[in-house]
Amino acid sequence: MDTLVSKYANSASSASFDDADNLGQNMAGWDAASQFALPAFDIPMVANPVDFLRAHTDASAENRIRIQHGTTTLAFKFQGGIIVAVDSRASGGSYIGTVSLSISFTTSQTVKKVIEINPYLLGTMAGGAADCQYWERELGRRCRLYELRNKERISVAAASKILSNMVYDYKGMGLSMGTMITGWDKSGPQLFYVDSDGTRMRGERFSVGSGSTFAYGVLDTGYDFNLSIPDALELGRRAIYHATHRDAYSGGSVNVFHVKETGWVFHGNFDVNDLHWEYQAQPKGPIV
Amino acid sequence: MFSTYPGQVVVDHPVKVPIEHRFDPYVDNGGTLLSIAGEDFCVVAADTRLSEGYSINSRYVPKSVKLSDKTVISMGGCYADCLTLTKKIQQSMEWYHHAHGKTMSTAAVAQMLSIMLYQKRFFPFYSWCILGGLDEEGKGAVYTYDPVGSYERESCRCAGSASSLIQPFLDNQIGFKNQASQKKTLSLDQVLRITKDSFTSATERDIYTGDYLELFVITSKGVEVQKMDLKKD
Amino acid sequence: MSIMEYNGGAVVAMVGKNCVAIACDKRLGVQAMTISTEFPKTFQATPKTYIGLPGLATDVQTLSEKFRFKVNMYKLKEEREIEPRTLAHLVSSTLYERRFGPWFVEPVIAGLDKENRPFICSTDLIGCINFAKDFVVSGTTSNQLYGMCESLWEPDLEPEDLFETISQSLMNAVDRDCLSGWGAQVTVITPDQVITRTLKSRQD
Repeated sequence: MDTLVSKYANSASSASFDDADNLGQNMAGWDAASQFALPAFDIPMVANPVDFLRAHTDASAENRIRIQHGTTTLAFKFQGGIIVAVDSRASGGSYIGTVSLSISFTTSQTVKKVIEINPYLLGTMAGGAADCQYWERELGRRCRLYELRNKERISVAAASKILSNMVYDYKGMGLSMGTMITGWDKSGPQLFYVDSDGTRMRGERFSVGSGSTFAYGVLDTGYDFNLSIPDALELGRRAIYHATHRDAYSGGSVNVFHVKETGWVFHGNFDVNDLHWEYQAQPKGPIV
Repeated sequence: MFSTYPGQVVVDHPVKVPIEHRFDPYVDNGGTLLSIAGEDFCVVAADTRLSEGYSINSRYVPKSVKLSDKTVISMGGCYADCLTLTKKIQQSMEWYHHAHGKTMSTAAVAQMLSIMLYQKRFFPFYSWCILGGLDEEGKGAVYTYDPVGSYERESCRCAGSASSLIQPFLDNQIGFKNQASQKKTLSLDQVLRITKDSFTSATERDIYTGDYLELFVITSKGVEVQKMDLKKD
Repeated sequence: MSIMEYNGGAVVAMVGKNCVAIACDKRLGVQAMTISTEFPKTFQATPKTYIGLPGLATDVQTLSEKFRFKVNMYKLKEEREIEPRTLAHLVSSTLYERRFGPWFVEPVIAGLDKENRPFICSTDLIGCINFAKDFVVSGTTSNQLYGMCESLWEPDLEPEDLFETISQSLMNAVDRDCLSGWGAQVTVITPDQVITRTLKSRQD
């Protein structure tokens, strides 16, 4: 464990302390970009930092640090590219301390769960919001550096592998991330599932989060590779709506994106309550 | 070896027992904060009670700090962590000022704070943060954070011990949720009234909220601070 | 997770001018999954008294029947309707009988007594009665409801205004609670009529 501590203990705060003599020099050349660019994490000075974090994020901890969970996200390939649809609810994202703030508290109904890494790469967010936001932003930075070095865009396969490798370095330390990386590169539309355990899979159709089982039900029923673009957008929207209806920890509104050869296009934000009454009024078609 | 009472065992040689040290650096100091963004203004408000368990350590400890003429930060949770984090932000903003010859914009502070929080992903700051201010276009902006740095721009948000009491009220009064009437933009006076009402109500039911309410009003003219009494029981 | 949060649910009651109102959500869930959206948690005890039972759904059903039985037995024995205050004590002692293996329900009682004076109260799961003059809340949404009611409620509301106040309080509160919502039912009790309305609310 000492090796682990020494590996990560080179934090921003300890570095500036050691360099106290050069403080003036540091300030003159101080640059937010270099200060914050590379990941360097503070580690608690205890025998086992992993146990420390676990003890303070555990359900039984007195002053508990909770990281938001509960989501429905989905993405699928079809003839016109890829559809990405997500809900927008964050629940229990705030601290739960001695004050009895229930975990069922809806922290936000307006979360952006599709992270626009760059104009042709999208990442979805499930699990820890901060983990997804931070690492997908870091991925964006690395993809841009790749572009500048190689004078061409990075492939989705490579981008998703960068993300997968980055989070794999921290395996077992408590990161929580379940994401789908999508985009269009030389070899066409690409869809990858990446999570904090180190899984990275190429696939046709994924749904991630607490409401994913409900979304899969609708998605698998309505899916056809030859779906038209409007029909595919509607399928994604409908699958997320059904998940928000049945899953308590999903809700708010649906955000829909379409990944095309020219990059991704945002196809709107739909309040699931409006969708509910709209779908209720529609005649039900035959399922089989 | 003999027993003086059942269960007690007396031994005649020293015994080595490992001493268990638990590293428990967090304490919840309570308190509530909220921020509401208007068309060309932003209000950041927080109560000033600092409590620990059932005791009140102080009745006047401000939770909000003016960072620039356009940005105010408000924090709740573990007060020690909040102080450190505020200092870190102020220091970085000063260095930024020296390096670039300009004041950090609200959006830039917002992104920086996210990274600062995430840098302590494995040893988190026990703090809820709300950043209020004006954006580059002069519009009101509210950024809210979780303890490890996920953030989002919103129009209004309440955090802290009474957040579950106040947030639904804000949804109703600021977001016009569950109301048939059309969404309206609110004036500064209306926003201040709603803010004060939220806190007087929350003080009735939340023991960690009370004493004084400190309001920061951010407009293009700068930051104005107002104070109001809350119940002290 | 607490057993009180297994099924989810919210109940609130308010006092108005010569009237009372009681409202509940309609969700029945099993933890995160919504099973039914037609599960109201308020029950009529007498023509002018309602009882709200948020908590563990199996106990909600059992207790609602148990109270129906007890209220009917009281009526047969006494040849009059039970007063809301008497009902409160009946509920309290029924719950305290199970002091060491409680029913997982925190009831709310609202009604008009024989002089048509408003009465509301709530109890905890082992029967400690909380008499209130303004409003009482119960269920997984209690924090949110306290915030809403404390801000919106005022004394001497007329029946229509009381209906609007309790509806807004409940709907905005459950919209910030994952485990409650999916429709709501509001009952306003006045000396000459009882009006029950179903609210169209968010379905997520």
